[in-house]
Amino acid sequence: MRTIVCMLVAVAALTAGYPQAAHGQVRAKAAVTCVSAGQVLEYDCTIRLANARSGEPLSGLTVSVGADMPSMPGMHNVRAVKATEQAEKGAYKVRLELEMHGDWAVQIDLRGAVRDRVISMLRFEEADVTDVKPSSGRRGH
Amino acid sequence: MDDYLVSVLSNIGVISFVALSAYLLLLTGEISFGQQAFFAIGAYAAGMATAMWGWPLALGIAWGAAVGAACAVSLGIPTLRLRGLQFSIATLAFAEMVRILFELFRYQVDIDGEPVGPNGTDGFRSIRYIFDHNIETFDFMMLIYTMLAVTLAGFMLLERSRLGVIFRMIGEDATLASLQGIAVARYKVLAAGIAGALAAVGGGLYAHLTTYVEPRTFDVMLGVHSLAYGLIGGLGTALGPLLGVVIDVGLLESVRLFAGYRMIIFGGLVALLLIFRPRGLLDERLVNRIGRLFRNAISGSTRTGRGSR
Amino acid sequence: MIDFIQNTIDGVMIGSSYGLLALGFTVIFGVMRRLNLSYGPTVMIGAYFGTVLYLDFGAGLLAVAAAVVAGAVISGVYVERLCFAPMKAGAGIASMVSSFAIWMQLEQAAVLVLPRHTYPFPPLATGPALEIGPLLVRPDHLIMLGGALLLAAVVQLALYHTRFGLGLRAVIANPIAANLVGVDVGRLVMLAFAAASAIGGVAGFLVLAVDQQVTPMFGMWATLKGLIAMMIGGLGSIPGALLGGLLLGVVEVHSHWLFGPQVRDLFAYFVLFAFLVARPGGLLGRTADVELSHRV
Repeated sequence: MRTIVCMLVAVAALTAGYPQAAHGQVRAKAAVTCVSAGQVLEYDCTIRLANARSGEPLSGLTVSVGADMPSMPGMHNVRAVKATEQAEKGAYKVRLELEMHGDWAVQIDLRGAVRDRVISMLRFEEADVTDVKPSSGRRGH
Repeated sequence: MDDYLVSVLSNIGVISFVALSAYLLLLTGEISFGQQAFFAIGAYAAGMATAMWGWPLALGIAWGAAVGAACAVSLGIPTLRLRGLQFSIATLAFAEMVRILFELFRYQVDIDGEPVGPNGTDGFRSIRYIFDHNIETFDFMMLIYTMLAVTLAGFMLLERSRLGVIFRMIGEDATLASLQGIAVARYKVLAAGIAGALAAVGGGLYAHLTTYVEPRTFDVMLGVHSLAYGLIGGLGTALGPLLGVVIDVGLLESVRLFAGYRMIIFGGLVALLLIFRPRGLLDERLVNRIGRLFRNAISGSTRTGRGSR
Repeated sequence: MIDFIQNTIDGVMIGSSYGLLALGFTVIFGVMRRLNLSYGPTVMIGAYFGTVLYLDFGAGLLAVAAAVVAGAVISGVYVERLCFAPMKAGAGIASMVSSFAIWMQLEQAAVLVLPRHTYPFPPLATGPALEIGPLLVRPDHLIMLGGALLLAAVVQLALYHTRFGLGLRAVIANPIAANLVGVDVGRLVMLAFAAASAIGGVAGFLVLAVDQQVTPMFGMWATLKGLIAMMIGGLGSIPGALLGGLLLGVVEVHSHWLFGPQVRDLFAYFVLFAFLVARPGGLLGRTADVELSHRV
């Protein structure tokens, strides 16, 4: 019993040390569209970033894009790739190489003037990529 | 440190908590297919605490752990008299019920003009604590590993304590243990509670690491995986499940070569491994042998080589 | 009232497929006293055999059925040789985890052969639903129910009226004694595994031919449904497996009708949980089986 109490106290002490800083930083939102890049499991994605509140496009950021499968937490980690900024304000392009077809949580990490992570759920299939509409059925119908 | 490496290591650390949770129950002789439920409960509870109620991270995770432990105890009591497959399937049924309840769970509040909170099958997005508080991913990884180290230390102490002996004794033969005057029921519920709290801590960390969770993250796959880690890595020590996670997530991650064939190779290797080492790489016998070598090395000068029996 | 009866009928029809899946599970569990998580995925591999035959060679319904059963038997024996035969007594957990690892392997193999999310499967019967008064019965459902009842009867007969069945029951009762009186236990267990996979194959074929599509997730679905039905019905009882499946089907259809798909699954798991807590032996399980299942 003492062991457990000690554990909990130590954990609380460790986490309490973290800074409790300001709320209300800029939040980003993203619209992601992907098309097959010709190769199997490779996709070209265009990401349009905007300030979630004002809707203003966010440009000049360092954007890296990774992906993870929600149905297998931590198992499929796609190495994050840097996205390149486009002429269009707030637009970035990236090529993703996935491991399998299915639903992926695309993680867009922003650095620079805005630090944030935006998640976009997409279903990647052979020919096309669509937004995920979660269905409850195990067999998917 | 490379961002990618940080994310892989963080994943390994977080998943280790569920693996340890399943391992603790294996010690007491129970095979649970349901530890992912407490992982989920911890993730949602901690996420709600920080993202919706503005609690500090430490409090959020502790709260998640408390809720996880409470739920685990309330599952532990009705399933006390179940054994073997029946216990496993009851935990599976419970975990699936929890997952479906999260699919139906909608509770959102308005934060900075945006709805935040669990939203049914869409899951719970914007658990942005580490971004709101400018915690670097590297620092968060260090936090995960500090907590994991504390947990492991707890396990090491447990193995040396009376409690640990009781747990293993119940795992060997519950009837015999109760004949020795051990209150088996109480200890089983205690083990369930600790295991629930452990999984919930992992869940709380996971939610803040990825910033989003959704119910299907917590399906049977996660539960069976966490059970498998103990068997792969070994049941002799708490380092076993960790080794299992490192092998699964880490090693496969580094071997990109196999891309589409990775489960074919890995699945086959695990099956072969279990033929030769049915209790995992670091099984009890190996751990004992290492321990004996260690003790002999210390007391070697005073005793002859035969040392312990 | 009509809705209630109609839903009950539909539930029985759907439940018969669960009962079939549980039947195969019961045979394996009865012989091995171990849990084979790869049971569903072996059926799924069989289904993929059938699908390839259907898509690439335009095979007919019977050929597809034969391919499904053959594929399930081949992969079932593979699982038995790798995960169960080499494991010593007392290594039940290792067998279970090993069968899980092979599940992952089979699933990826299926995706490699047919990478899309869903594929069409040939329909069992395309005629219009039969009208019985105000009630409707789908002909393919009727075939499925008939198949389930027939197979359960065959299994029961084979167990109690053949030499093979006698040997199996001897192994179930006491493998060491069976060995001593000259039963080739290893061979018998493998045959039982093959038979169980064949039953699973028939079940899988019927379910998929009613659904008319197949996905790699079918493996997990089949394992879960079979397991739930077996546990509700009672470990080790063949009529129990069938009955458990029917009950599960009826509960699912009613709760789906009343509350929608999510609550349907919630209800199914709740019934399972309640049964386990209140009556661990299930509907027809005997306490002897419960004791024996101590070590999975």
